This record gives sequence, C-alpha cells and structure tokens, in this order.
Amino acid sequence: MSDPTGGAVGHRLSPDAYTRMTLILRAGLALSVAILLGALLAYLIVHPTASAQSILAANPIALYLSPGGLVRGLAQGRRESFLTLGLLVLLATPILRVATGAYYFYKDGEREMAAITTTVFALLLVGLLVIGPFIP
Amino acid sequence: MDLGLFVLLVALTGIAAGLVGSLTGLGGALIVIPVLVIAFGVDFPTAAGAGLMTILATSSTTGAAYLRDRLTDLRIGMFLEIATVPGALVGATATVFLTHANLDNALLIGLGFVLLAIVPLSYARRNEELPPAVVPDARSQRLGLRGAYHDEALGQDVQYQAARTAPALGVMFGAGLVSGMFGIGGGVFKVLALERFLRLPMKISTATSNFMIGVTGAAGAGILLAAGFVNPLVAAPAALGTAAGAYLGSQVLPGLSNRTVRLLFLPVVVALAIEVIVRGLGGP
Repeated sequence: MSDPTGGAVGHRLSPDAYTRMTLILRAGLALSVAILLGALLAYLIVHPTASAQSILAANPIALYLSPGGLVRGLAQGRRESFLTLGLLVLLATPILRVATGAYYFYKDGEREMAAITTTVFALLLVGLLVIGPFIP
Repeated sequence: MDLGLFVLLVALTGIAAGLVGSLTGLGGALIVIPVLVIAFGVDFPTAAGAGLMTILATSSTTGAAYLRDRLTDLRIGMFLEIATVPGALVGATATVFLTHANLDNALLIGLGFVLLAIVPLSYARRNEELPPAVVPDARSQRLGLRGAYHDEALGQDVQYQAARTAPALGVMFGAGLVSGMFGIGGGVFKVLALERFLRLPMKISTATSNFMIGVTGAAGAGILLAAGFVNPLVAAPAALGTAAGAYLGSQVLPGLSNRTVRLLFLPVVVALAIEVIVRGLGGP
C-alpha cells in the first residue's frame, strides 16, 4: 500500500498490542461486572430494609477508599469493600490499556510516542492517587 | 424509596440510556446523569461520578469490537490523550472544589448548557465516509499519525493521515474538561476534532473516540472516586445497565437508522437540559 504523503507506509502498533488490549478490555469488564453484580446483590440481601435516601446521604464505601481500608475490608469480607474493588477494576481497565500502549511503543523503539503515552499513564495515576485523595 | 427498587430502576434507566446512546453515538451518560438528578433526587456530583463509571463500562463493552477490527487508531488516540487527560483532571478537580463551595447548582446549569450545545454539534458530523486529501502538518509527519484499513462497506483499502494537530489538541483539552467536570463522555467533541481537524475517516474517528472516551473517563473518575463522589449503589447499577443497553444496541438493532433515532432522541436531551437548568436556578 502506498502512503498518501509519498513517504513510508504509516504503521500502527503491532497486531500483538491490539490483541493484548482486546484481552484486557474483555477481562477487565468481565471481572468488574462479576464483582459488582455479586457485591450489589449481597448488599441488597444483607440490607433488605435499607432506603435509597440513606445510601444517598452517606456513601457506604467512604471507609474503603484508602488502600489500607480496602485491604482490611476485603479481609473481613465486607460487601462495601467488594463494591469498591469492582469500581477500581472498572477504572483500572483503560489505565492498563495505556500502560500496554507505552510498553509496545518502547518495545518498537518509538521514543517520542513512548514518552507521550507514559506521560498520559503518569497523569492518570496522579489523578487517582494524588489529586483525588488530597483535594481539601 | 426502597433500596432494591431504586437499584432496579437505576439499572433499567441505564439499559434504556445505553441502548439509545449506542444507536445515536452520543453515549448513555447524557441521559443517565440528568435522570438521576431529576427523577431520583441524586445530587449532581454523585450523578457525575455515576456518569463517568457508565462511560468506562460502555467504552470497554463496545471498544473490544473496534480493537478486534483494527479500526481504533491507537497511535492517534494515545497522542490526543495528552490533551484530554489533563482537561479531565482539571474538570473533575473543579467539580470537587465547586461542590465543596456549595456551587452544585452552577454545575447543573453548566451541564444544561453543555447538553444544549451537543444537540447542534451532533448534526455537525461530516456526512461523507472518507475525508478529502489533506496536507499533514510537521507533527503528524514526525509522529507517523497515519494508517490504513480495509473498509468492508466500500470494498476498498483506505489510507489516511492526520492534519491540523494543534487545533485538534485544543478541542481535545476542552472535551476532557467537559468530561471530567460533568461526567459525560464528550464523544461529540472528540469526533468533531477527529473529523474536522485531523480529517480522519468516519469509522476511524468513531472507533478512536470510543477508545479515548474510556481513558478520559478514567482520569475524571479517579478523582471523583477518591474524593468520595462515586456511590456504588448508584454507579454500579447505572454502569451495568448502560453497558448492557449499549451491547444490546450494537447487537440487536444494527439496521435502525441512526438519523431517525437521533431525531427522536435529541428533543429528550433538550428537555432534560432545560429541566437541569431550571433546577440549577432553584426551580422545582
């Protein structure tokens, strides 16, 4: 195929990267759906008389948003911590896609694209781990 | 309202929104967020947090097919994320600050105006499948922002190269800002930049926008989750329902005219926009 600009054929990431990212998407979605559905049903069974107003007034996962709180909650089998875990898996899926992209750009020796993708990855982590928890 | 009934109704709202959102290409969050505020009495930051989680679920549901068909241009998508992600971080941070300052109503009014802006923009999509020949700029040449794919419908191999990357980055920052601040995907703005500025083919624009929506959504969702604005008993049924609706939309009704559904859908968006503006102004 000739290139429209007359240069070399424009290449995209290797087919392996596409395969890996498709797998990440499917696995991340399946895992998060399974955790969220299970934890949601368990929460509703354990709290049969709860009202929507009560859960809207106080976020039930507030205690499990820190790494320590989440680990303790999971160890104790708290349903709220599993709800948090399901949301985190859903959130981590696109972030993992970006990390995968950075890996393949480095592997292919594309330093500028690798730097751009790594910066995007770093910004995503900054939002989750630095900005969110520390906004006064 | 009983919590079980609430969860069920939110999930059903998500299914309907995901179905319509996938058929129109506008995404389900546009419907889910105002309906959560208007019909379920959810406060705006929690509705925005739920909206961003629906975007993550929908993008993952529909994104796998685009990746499998090699329609997503990962190179161009990753390049543009350098603008959308900072935009989303700024937008979500602003939402947290405005909420702490008890300015939720200003956010509601802003959401209403963004919804109203989306209506004409959704008609601004280029109607031709392929763009005319373009002159790529130096950045596009240097980063190799070009590609090729086989178009089944046209029965030909299609080559493309991105042009005008600077204004596209500006629009993408704005798209990220809107996404992080209001919890919507901002796909309309992203597709606009991909088609109008980068001059990419329609299919590549749609698939790449879908990929980017997930990453941008993660930037905003990370902040809102950490700040405590993602309530799983709202976000989980909304996200699961919307993802299911989006999947149904892509599988069951491929023959339905996108334009017809959009004509039916847009008055609903306008009505919701007016209602959230009225609420933001202190109305009933």
